[in-house]
Amino acid sequence: MRKTKALSGAAQDAYFRRALKTQSNLTAEDREQLVRSLKREIAQLRLRLEPLPAGALPPPAAAAPVHTQEATSAQAQPAVPSASFDPFSPNVVVILRTSGRAAALAALAAIDREEHLRLLAREQRLNVGPDVASLRELRAAIVSAAERRVANRVAAAS
Amino acid sequence: MTRFLAVSNRKGGVGKSTISVMLAHAAAAWGRQRVLLMDLDTQCNASLMLLGGEGWEKASRAGRTIADYFYDRFDNVAGDEAVYIVNNVGDVAHPRTAPGRVSLLAGSQQLEDIQGELYLKQSKKDLHADAVALLVRSRMKRLMRHFGMDCDLVILDCPPGLSLAAHAALDMADHIVVPFRPDFVSQFALDRVALLIERVENAEQLASIPFAERRYACLPNCLTGVGHERLLIEQIALDHPLLATRLPVLDSIARAFDWDEGKKTMEQKYADALPHLRKLHAEVFAGTQRRAKSA
Repeated sequence: MRKTKALSGAAQDAYFRRALKTQSNLTAEDREQLVRSLKREIAQLRLRLEPLPAGALPPPAAAAPVHTQEATSAQAQPAVPSASFDPFSPNVVVILRTSGRAAALAALAAIDREEHLRLLAREQRLNVGPDVASLRELRAAIVSAAERRVANRVAAAS
Repeated sequence: MTRFLAVSNRKGGVGKSTISVMLAHAAAAWGRQRVLLMDLDTQCNASLMLLGGEGWEKASRAGRTIADYFYDRFDNVAGDEAVYIVNNVGDVAHPRTAPGRVSLLAGSQQLEDIQGELYLKQSKKDLHADAVALLVRSRMKRLMRHFGMDCDLVILDCPPGLSLAAHAALDMADHIVVPFRPDFVSQFALDRVALLIERVENAEQLASIPFAERRYACLPNCLTGVGHERLLIEQIALDHPLLATRLPVLDSIARAFDWDEGKKTMEQKYADALPHLRKLHAEVFAGTQRRAKSA
């Protein structure tokens, strides 16, 4: 018995649009931009004909192996951009150097979505591990990576 | 008084020769200056841009290159320095009555060999290696400075890396433009060249020198407008003085250095790069004047 259906081309685009429409925090422009990005990166997807019941999947924090895989593939591929988020701001290294660790953490506190923090880390070349679970730990890991980057540069200039 | 402007970065491929030639044209055309470009790079790109392949080969065969000059004059051989210079080079037309012109002391692929030979010659005097290097550099500095007599501006197009000639050029320059591409490794290259220019040993000592007192300014080049360029430029600006000019990647800049015998106006040669060049010229010229006054 067939349990999944392959979607590609226009059918896939229509599915992306339908799925993204359920995200009320996205503007129409954001949604279209995401559809364009997803089209570039995904050639075909398989849709469950009968969705799994709620609670069938483990919560995100317990899904470590899947998480690792996602992070690894995300490092190798361009990020899915969000029209409303600039991953180059705040400049973590600059804030760290001019105002210190606490100020850098405070600047990152304004970002409250994990995918945005991970996108910022990736675009600013600040390496954080995939196993960092909470937003607080993620922000601390980003600042620590910035500290390593600064130390690295100072060492090279000695 | 002649000003010496070096264009330098230890990293290759950052646009040193292109910027040297652009500044030479701009200073002659707009500043009405008598400019000498000294090509210290064994790749000889600036010479090829200003003379073309055949012109450079002719100068090389005639013994009119920087390597010949250093070799012939190292031991104070008397003679006329002007024989080493090729005058009115480049493809920008200047009115007959205008004083501005660009002359060239052409580069040579032999320069590194010649430096090695001069070094070995001096080391026969039982000197310590550092002392020999210093002696060769000092002599090179004096030889370079000698050309200042007939020019308003000498532009020293430095090689990547740190040859004795590059050291000498950095020692003697009044002002140094350090072009860079905003990428990760450029930060390291800028830090290192800055230590050398300011004659300090580490980042802490460098930080103690106010930007206004430094001899160099960094020039972001080949910008494409992507976000991480902005990020790196902001980071570099914490440690190094930056020019306000930003040079984007432009076809007109790349095309300007295809050798062409026909003379052009600056507008024809630089096309849509012209506003950037005007800004760069104004900024660098102000910088060299400020350095000359403080000296």
